[in-house]
Amino acid sequence: MLSRVANNLFWMDRYMERSYGLLNLIKTNYNSTLDTGDYSSWNNIQKTYMGIYKSKPNDEYLDTISIINTMLFDSENPNTMSNIVIRARENARSVQEHISRELWLSVNKYYLHISNENLSINFRNSDPIEFVNEMLQFNHIYYSVADITQERGNAYCFMNLGKYLERVVQSIEFLSLRIINLNDKDQKLSESFFWKNLLISIGGYQLYVKTYKSIFNVENIIEMITINENFPRSIRYSIIKLYTHIERLNNYNKLNDRQLLFHVGKLKNSLQYSTIGSIKKIGLQKFLDEIKLDLNNISLYINKIYFSQSY
Amino acid sequence: MDSIVNNYRQYHNTWDEMFTEEGSIRELYTEFGSYLESVPVENLNKMQEFSKQFFMNQGVTFTVYNNKKGVERIFPFDIIPRIIKEKEWKIIQSGIKQRIKALNFFLKDIYHEQFIIKDGLIPANLIASHPNYIREMRNVNVPKNIYTHISGIDLIRDRDGEFYVLEDNLRTPSGVSYMLENREITRRLYPKLMPKKKVLPIDNYPQLLYDQLKTLVSIDNPEIVLLTPGLYNSAYYEHSTLARLMGVELVEGSDLVLKNHNVFMKTAGGLKKVDVIYRRIDDDYLDPLSFNTDSVLGLAGIMEAYRQGNVVIVNAPGTGVADDKAVYTYIPAIIRYYLNEEPILKNIKTFQLSNTDEKNYVIENIDQMVVKKTDGSGGYGMLMGKSASKREIKDYIRKIDLKPENFIAQPTLSLSTSPCIINNELTPRCVDLRPFAVFGANGISVSPGGLSRVALKKGSLVVNSSQGGGSKDTWVIKDD
Repeated sequence: MLSRVANNLFWMDRYMERSYGLLNLIKTNYNSTLDTGDYSSWNNIQKTYMGIYKSKPNDEYLDTISIINTMLFDSENPNTMSNIVIRARENARSVQEHISRELWLSVNKYYLHISNENLSINFRNSDPIEFVNEMLQFNHIYYSVADITQERGNAYCFMNLGKYLERVVQSIEFLSLRIINLNDKDQKLSESFFWKNLLISIGGYQLYVKTYKSIFNVENIIEMITINENFPRSIRYSIIKLYTHIERLNNYNKLNDRQLLFHVGKLKNSLQYSTIGSIKKIGLQKFLDEIKLDLNNISLYINKIYFSQSY
Repeated sequence: MDSIVNNYRQYHNTWDEMFTEEGSIRELYTEFGSYLESVPVENLNKMQEFSKQFFMNQGVTFTVYNNKKGVERIFPFDIIPRIIKEKEWKIIQSGIKQRIKALNFFLKDIYHEQFIIKDGLIPANLIASHPNYIREMRNVNVPKNIYTHISGIDLIRDRDGEFYVLEDNLRTPSGVSYMLENREITRRLYPKLMPKKKVLPIDNYPQLLYDQLKTLVSIDNPEIVLLTPGLYNSAYYEHSTLARLMGVELVEGSDLVLKNHNVFMKTAGGLKKVDVIYRRIDDDYLDPLSFNTDSVLGLAGIMEAYRQGNVVIVNAPGTGVADDKAVYTYIPAIIRYYLNEEPILKNIKTFQLSNTDEKNYVIENIDQMVVKKTDGSGGYGMLMGKSASKREIKDYIRKIDLKPENFIAQPTLSLSTSPCIINNELTPRCVDLRPFAVFGANGISVSPGGLSRVALKKGSLVVNSSQGGGSKDTWVIKDD
């Protein structure tokens, strides 16, 4: 497989995963404003996910609607939903010979849906959650179509590298953005809707309740998002997946380069032998920073080994 | 009865593919005619809408950039197929094979001994001064002596009902993916009608192409790639479709690298040697060392690798000298010279404006002429005497006087018409026909039918997609 193609497959899935994370974020934050009326919660989100530092005043419901509208459709901002999907589709278009026909059709339909000019007009007249849910369906279809139609080979592995790398980054961001500063907002710890929305936004509410029952505390959440083996959005889960696909790629392409595998393997194992106690001992911020550093190195190696255009 | 068929108004003095001059339906369209009489026009509109949606969803589109915002466009498609009898097709087919065979001999000759010039059939300066004559190709022995692997011959049917060659396209012409997609959608539009009509299949074209490309090298499992200028090229859809259907890699210039005069592609598993390149970029952009030095679309040094026989380039560089409008007039003579046969397909009467007598005749009769630049393509830079204003004509004649050898003229043609569904009506529009031929060591094969291009504007003769043209499916139906 061409390096350029591998790179585009990687980014196709990475953008799809990013769009999925963004939609969930919009949905749950909107949801939580329904309880709290705290519209300023959009400021941080716009900063982190949209790169918008100078936010307009937002102190009423209608501001929320126009913020969401911007996050979905602003064509000037590269981080909006429509631009992310456009890029996912551009990448898909450039690798059509390597993805299943069905997968291409699903991405293309998503693109046609989101670039339809009537869509943003419709948004103003619909329930935002319902509206976002409809978009999320395209992501769900994408994941399942990839699962049942994509051959298990190089292409599938590169797609998964993109997907899980993006997912780890999202989980780390989630922790640093919304969990680390919780001490400042102690009064919220007792408000159950806060926890509920937080966990729903990463799809972990059900698992949390099953595992920890009704006790909401920061440690449990950190434990679940960092080192739970069965939570599909935990850091550890994604790293295990990364390891699997990197190992497969190594075999497919008969590469002697063991450095990449070594790095991912090391990270995988260090997560396996981490406990919430050991994380607290290092400090969550430092713990996350170290993982970020590792991820950086892993990305560099992936680039060098598989995508690099210089020989 | 008031049906869309009865309300069909033919163009004057023009051959219609479906109706005779008296207005009755030709035999080969009988079933189709009764179908059109029986079906409400709303259904036809729905089918038209369905096909549009089908192309959109499949991504059979090209992107137009407007204010940095990309808008997806489809090439317009008309749902009424153009039908040709197998008997007539067989003549077209043998005519095309004959023509390509002769042009291939011609290319070999002018890049080697140049007998045809020495024998005085073609003026030396026509070749020597030709912008598409590539000196780098002199005395290069091309694999299996084939230059024109893939060609598309544009045909029109004049008012006398005969097919004429309008133009030869020997520089890897596009459109074949539309031929395939048009059939894909038509199959679904006429689920009952099509099986009955015994339409000759075309969907094996990608395999046919692959098999022919394979014959160009004597390696068991050659690495064949398709070279595209990239995602933003208007024909990208076609490149990606052909690569997908042939199961070969779609590469860009930056994916290729040269090592010891061999071409390699950069893969996730390291470098991999490339044996055959079906390129969809022009000669000019192929190799910055030999041609346009600014080009980043091709690969520096690829011409040397080609000359050394380490890679096959399809079509061979330099075929543009044979499909140009000035050489066009000589093609009947070329066929006679190399094959000792009479041309099966006729040329359109063409005047060389470098000849003063012919130039004067053309200017006197300019209202009946189409004047074209010899190096133009895509319908650009031509003058339609019938519809041009006096001022346009005057300006154009001034251009001709500056360099008359750059122009040719042909009597205004009457392209045949084929019925289309436009604004709830069955209405005639001009069509041409571009069959696609593939030339490999196994000989020449022509895919039955080809792409029928339609001039969608009323009365227009210009079928080019860049100027408001669309297309139709083309059925070659088996004789009973």
